[in-house]
Amino acid sequence: MPELSIAEALREALREELHRDPRVFLLGEDIGVPGGFGGAFTVTLGLAEEFGRDRVRDTPISEAGIAGVAIGAAICGMRPVADVQYSDFLFNMMDQLVNQAAKLRYMSGGTLTVPMVMRAPVGATARGAQHAQSPEAFFTHVPGLKVVAPATAYDAKGLLKAAIRDDNPVLVFEHKLLYGSKGARSEKGAVSPRGEVPADDYIVPIGQGIVRRPGTDVTIVASLLMLYRALQAAEELAADGIDVEVIDPRTLVPLDTALILRSVQKTGRLVIVEEDNLTNGWGAEVAALMADDAFVWLDAPIKRVAAPDTPPPFAPILEQAYVPSVTRIVDTVRSIL
Amino acid sequence: MPFEVLMPPLSQTLDTLVLVEWLKRTGDEIRKGEPLFLVESDKATLEVESPATGTLQAILAEPGSEVRVKTPIAHIIELGESLPAASPLRIPVATPPVTGASSDAGLDWLPPARAQRIKASPRARARAQAAGVGLAAVPASGPQGMIVERDVTAYLATLPTPPRVSPVARRMATAEGIDVAAIAQAKPGRRIQRADIVDAVAGAQKPAPAEAQFGNADAVGGGALRAALDPTRRVIAARLQASHQASVPVTLMREVDATALVELRTTILADLGDQAPRPSYTDLFALIVARCLLQHPTMNGTFDGEMLMIPEHVQLALAVDTPRGLVAPVIPGADQCSLLTLANKRVELTAAALASQLTPAQLGGGTFTLTNLGALGVDAFTPVINPPQIAILGTGRIRPAPAVFGGQLAIRQMMMLSLTFDHRVVDGAPAARFLGAVAEFVEKPFRVWY
Repeated sequence: MPELSIAEALREALREELHRDPRVFLLGEDIGVPGGFGGAFTVTLGLAEEFGRDRVRDTPISEAGIAGVAIGAAICGMRPVADVQYSDFLFNMMDQLVNQAAKLRYMSGGTLTVPMVMRAPVGATARGAQHAQSPEAFFTHVPGLKVVAPATAYDAKGLLKAAIRDDNPVLVFEHKLLYGSKGARSEKGAVSPRGEVPADDYIVPIGQGIVRRPGTDVTIVASLLMLYRALQAAEELAADGIDVEVIDPRTLVPLDTALILRSVQKTGRLVIVEEDNLTNGWGAEVAALMADDAFVWLDAPIKRVAAPDTPPPFAPILEQAYVPSVTRIVDTVRSIL
Repeated sequence: MPFEVLMPPLSQTLDTLVLVEWLKRTGDEIRKGEPLFLVESDKATLEVESPATGTLQAILAEPGSEVRVKTPIAHIIELGESLPAASPLRIPVATPPVTGASSDAGLDWLPPARAQRIKASPRARARAQAAGVGLAAVPASGPQGMIVERDVTAYLATLPTPPRVSPVARRMATAEGIDVAAIAQAKPGRRIQRADIVDAVAGAQKPAPAEAQFGNADAVGGGALRAALDPTRRVIAARLQASHQASVPVTLMREVDATALVELRTTILADLGDQAPRPSYTDLFALIVARCLLQHPTMNGTFDGEMLMIPEHVQLALAVDTPRGLVAPVIPGADQCSLLTLANKRVELTAAALASQLTPAQLGGGTFTLTNLGALGVDAFTPVINPPQIAILGTGRIRPAPAVFGGQLAIRQMMMLSLTFDHRVVDGAPAARFLGAVAEFVEKPFRVWY
């Protein structure tokens, strides 16, 4: 079985779906420009040449336009996959996404569906406050949107394919330090996990989390880059005999509450790690759900590890202090033992 | 509306009762029917159930205090309800016990019940509740000074598991004042039997130091100690003194040949095999005495100083030695009971007495008392009447002794009967005739069939 980076796995998912379903097409800024990188992070590299510029369409720098085209195409029966370049730019599309994409199916009594995908890179990578946010939580608040966040190559391919086949608008958040982009687009400090990805057609169902590391003492829920920091923290804590269970939710909406509940019933302790700033993040929702469903199972206060309530700083040293570190996760776990 | 918890009128003879212990703390949630506090009544500690469901608030009586019956001792409020700020109920409560879960400084603004709430994780609370233990004595090691699950687990591990003890061994241990738990610790996993108690008695050369017996004693110099009587002892003292002052006790003693009774019991036990209960000599005497009392009804009467009451049936009180002192629970209708029924009831009452769980109903209404010091090696003594009863029979040790039997000197199973009666009501001759009737049944136990 071939080992792929996340960027390669996403590319394979797009290629397979473009082959499988003629309604699928890609759109975005610089995703197929001749001599380009294949989007900002090489995901669409070579697809324009392979499928033609009708199905891999470069757009002007107008995020509202991208969203409007995608929504219009989707309600007319196409299955657009939009590349948002930086998830920060989703805010340019807010009216289109929140007032149109998320609501049309409800408002039409189910007559319309909006089967579209927005692929949006997140994470602080020394690019400054407007290219560094992790805005997943905004979209978890909007009924009608699904939100996924794959952290491995296997899940990247499987979840993207599931998103393309879903009849609802799905936001796929990808992390810049996990892509494994190469050459001029390689990232400093990248984790770039590679993993075995089956060449055949499979999906990872939306709404299913996964236990990445079984443990008995504390549950950590973390997605994307924070998943890897949590796993590293778990290793450090294991050296002291503290057995941490790490859960990757993979999907934030709908959330696999049952999986988290089972884990908390076992461990009695919960730490949620998110790269976004603390207040009203998706971690707050997980904490509230568990305070409700798992109350009698809790043996310690629920803790969140998140960024401070400021924009991501540009200075690399400040950015390092801003994004939750392995040390912060370890210290937080120790504080509730 | 807050629900007033009143000191229950559990005693017919006492206007005040001693509140021994609260089983809940202020702020604890409680359900109607759950045990709420312990109270010392005539000769027994009773568990009193909560009269309402809610949160225990404003404890008004501290442990150890004497409280008039039917006066409020605490309040129970419904969930979400609070006591009015100006309520006279908000009097200071007892200092919270010093445990790991002590209250924080800086919580003065909270109602005392809330400030003194034991800090424990929900998981620890669920664990403790499942195990049926409170959290007050559990040391906390969790974050924010909380009791967490591991603390409850550790605490449960320190609690003794009740040792398995044979009935004979338990009775002997009680009579000899031997702690079966200590033997169980020395011989883990084993059922404690008669031989273990015999060994323990032989091994216990030294009496326990006085300090150990009187936990509340003060040293007064020269190795002497001075201690207040505990509540049970105070009740016993008052009642014995009243008995002695009011009645005119006279004790008759008579030696009897119990050989036939011993043989009868041996036969009965062999016949019963492993079947419970195993009738004791006390049970045999209970049967005999109940039979004789029907023939001598005055001995079965009660006398309040003016009126003599002659009941229809025998309400037989059995004196039971407990770690908290003497109690005398009653077998109602003893004259209508078979030997095995008497034995069953004795086992039941003794167990309840040792666990301090006798109810007022089980302690009241006795018409005659049977007391046995034979197990402690006593032959004859002068039992004290339990007023308003008129008489009490003491049975002594059954031991092989030289006696004239069939005109020959023989070794027989001999014992002494000691009958104390109130001479105000009964004269010596009728009392002697009653004692004679008992003696005749002891010597010819087959006559219970006549």
